[in-house]
Amino acid sequence: MDFAWTEQETAFRDRLRALLADTLPDDWERFSQHGPASPALTKYAESFCGTLAEQGLLIPHWPVELGGQGLDPWHQTILAEEMWIAGEPRGGQYMNVNWIGPTLIRYGSPDQQARYLPPIAEGKALWCQGFSEPGSGSDLASLRTRAERDGDTYRVNGQKIWTSYAGLADTCFLVCRTSDDRKRGISILLVPMDTPGITVRQIPSLIGEGDIHEVFFDDVTVPVTARLGDEGQAWEIIGYSLTNERLGIPRYALARAALDRAVAVLKEQGEFDGEAVKIEAAHAAALTEAARMASYAIVDRRAKGEAIGAESSSARFATVMAERRVCEFIVEYLPEALADAHPYLKMHHQRGIVAGIAAGAAEIQLNIIATDVLKLPREPR
Amino acid sequence: MDLALTDDQVAILDAIDTLTRPYAGASLHEAGFSLPDAQLDRDLAEGGFLDIGFDPDLGAVSAALVVERLARLPQTVEAAASALIRPLLGDDLPRPLCLVEEGRTTRPVRFLREGATVLIVGPSSVSAFTATAAQVRAEPEALYGYPMATLLDVPTDRTPHAIPADEVLTRWRIALAAEAAGLLAAALDSTVAHVTDRQQFGRPLATFQALRHRLAEAQVRANGVRWLALKAAATLGPGDAALAALHAQESARATVYDFHQFFGAMGVTLEHPLHLWTYRLKALIGDLRGRGGQALAAAEALWG
Ligand SMILES: Cc1cc2nc3c(=O)[nH]c(=O)nc-3n(C[C@H](O)[C@H](O)[C@H](O)COP(=O)(O)OP(=O)(O)OC[C@H]3O[C@@H](n4cnc5c(N)ncnc54)[C@H](O)[C@@H]3O)c2cc1C
Repeated sequence: MDFAWTEQETAFRDRLRALLADTLPDDWERFSQHGPASPALTKYAESFCGTLAEQGLLIPHWPVELGGQGLDPWHQTILAEEMWIAGEPRGGQYMNVNWIGPTLIRYGSPDQQARYLPPIAEGKALWCQGFSEPGSGSDLASLRTRAERDGDTYRVNGQKIWTSYAGLADTCFLVCRTSDDRKRGISILLVPMDTPGITVRQIPSLIGEGDIHEVFFDDVTVPVTARLGDEGQAWEIIGYSLTNERLGIPRYALARAALDRAVAVLKEQGEFDGEAVKIEAAHAAALTEAARMASYAIVDRRAKGEAIGAESSSARFATVMAERRVCEFIVEYLPEALADAHPYLKMHHQRGIVAGIAAGAAEIQLNIIATDVLKLPREPR
Repeated sequence: MDLALTDDQVAILDAIDTLTRPYAGASLHEAGFSLPDAQLDRDLAEGGFLDIGFDPDLGAVSAALVVERLARLPQTVEAAASALIRPLLGDDLPRPLCLVEEGRTTRPVRFLREGATVLIVGPSSVSAFTATAAQVRAEPEALYGYPMATLLDVPTDRTPHAIPADEVLTRWRIALAAEAAGLLAAALDSTVAHVTDRQQFGRPLATFQALRHRLAEAQVRANGVRWLALKAAATLGPGDAALAALHAQESARATVYDFHQFFGAMGVTLEHPLHLWTYRLKALIGDLRGRGGQALAAAEALWG
């Protein structure tokens, strides 16, 4: 076993840090309090992603023939960590490069790849993911948004909810029902958001402006060629996407950075003094590092080309534990962080509190760990 | 021992329920993070509900009951400090009454605004001043369910109050615990309603044992916080008060996460009132150096 970074990996991280230091505006920390989906950050992300693309740092983990450099999952992890620690200046585009792009690379038709991959690679696209519905959250397979086949087109009717980025996205990765067969009756359509019949309403939220939306589909006509993969193949494709997304956000890294920042402020104020505050901070650090190692163990296996299963749920829940403890530490010992005093910490809090909900609720991860890692017998139905 | 409410207390709580009933269906639209209500504040003050602690026959227990009941509302009014600490200081102090721990004056302060009475509670002395506009920076973007402001300046010429700081700290802890008890109860009720209503996988969320046990534990905590707060209000003992506040802060920490978790994404919208209770609990967690501060105070009082 070797727990050290290679020289090449360290150099890659240094390069990213230097680029962030040179590129981000002086008031970035205050600015990045706006959620990653806010209009302000989305606009900034366009120019930032353009810069990354010019430097070969937007899609370095993509295959060479598609404009990437074929860098391994360790580099992908370093990139994701540095961006997330910085407050994700790529805005919603992180999703494009982490999993929309890779999913299109794996399942897209040549036409779809030709249409959608270049704008992603240039930092000019913004996608939203239409999975959840009012009646279908954790139970995604119960979704009801319907795509009726009509010759060469589908007619889509239904509603999505909690859709991040929908207000500004140009394309929706839409999951909808093409038959009544629960999991096998679901298909994916790639739908331009300016298609007639789509209405978006923003939902005011705790976590910042522009983050979550309702999206209504009223007789939206989509050509059959917009379908990703086969009819009924969505469940398999989503599984592939979500595995990428779940590892895509290295939340432990920002949690640790926020914890370090909070401790630095407390020290400066002469308040990192008693035993209680030190014990709490150390507990939080133990959890961020446990989550980091659980994630690295999976990155390592990915780097070696091994299949990843339920262990990713374990890493994900470790991250939820870490986020929770760091958020709680800061609320308790540095409450002014949630007012105006420390924008970086406020930014962390708003992103941290959804760790156990967004991209699949934590209790579902626990069910997966219980069933597939521990092999516990299932609850009788 | 007789742990039932007295007739007077039943009458007071009934009167509060009657008075606050019209406020129950508050519109959350455009409400933002906190939901202060000046009219409700006036109604309560005029009705004398915040002065109950001055009446020796009713005392701190009745005041704590009032605080607990009011904390269940989606609206927020400055009741806890007024009802439980003002009786030590005199009823001529302008409300809201804002509590600030000496040495921690950079913390955001609940209800602080121009004209508020700011009580600086030190380890050994207690003093007050009336805040001017220049001393206050409102924090409209603060992620707490109270109107918050930061004190920019603490004047040196404050009015000293010849009362022991320990007594104020004890009542502060009781006020905190009583308020937390109401907030916990309201957040729990709201979560119970949601998981009963919401179906996933063809059944109500409430039928999943993973959720039932955690909610049942929250009930045990909320109940414990309420009893500790009321007992501390009755004894006014520093140990009882520290235990009540410690249990309140620890229970807030343990349950706020679960409440939001069980709501799923619905819990992050401003269109649902949950945050009005949970983000108040979050604000209470940091008072008086958090659980560590309460634990040390409790250990000191209990075992020296
Ligand atoms: C910030 C944010 C951004 C999001 N962005 C998007 C997006 O872009 N696109 C999109 O499609 N969706 C998005 N979502 C929605 C997200 O995918 C859902 O919130 C998530 O899948 C959970 O569904 P739900 O909110 O309906 O909660 P529910 O499914 O109602 O769950 C509520 C609670 O019940 C628990 N529960 C449910 N089933 C079980 C069970 N079988 N056993 C035990 N406990 C159970 C859950 O764990 C949870 O604690 C976003 C959510 C958030 C918070």
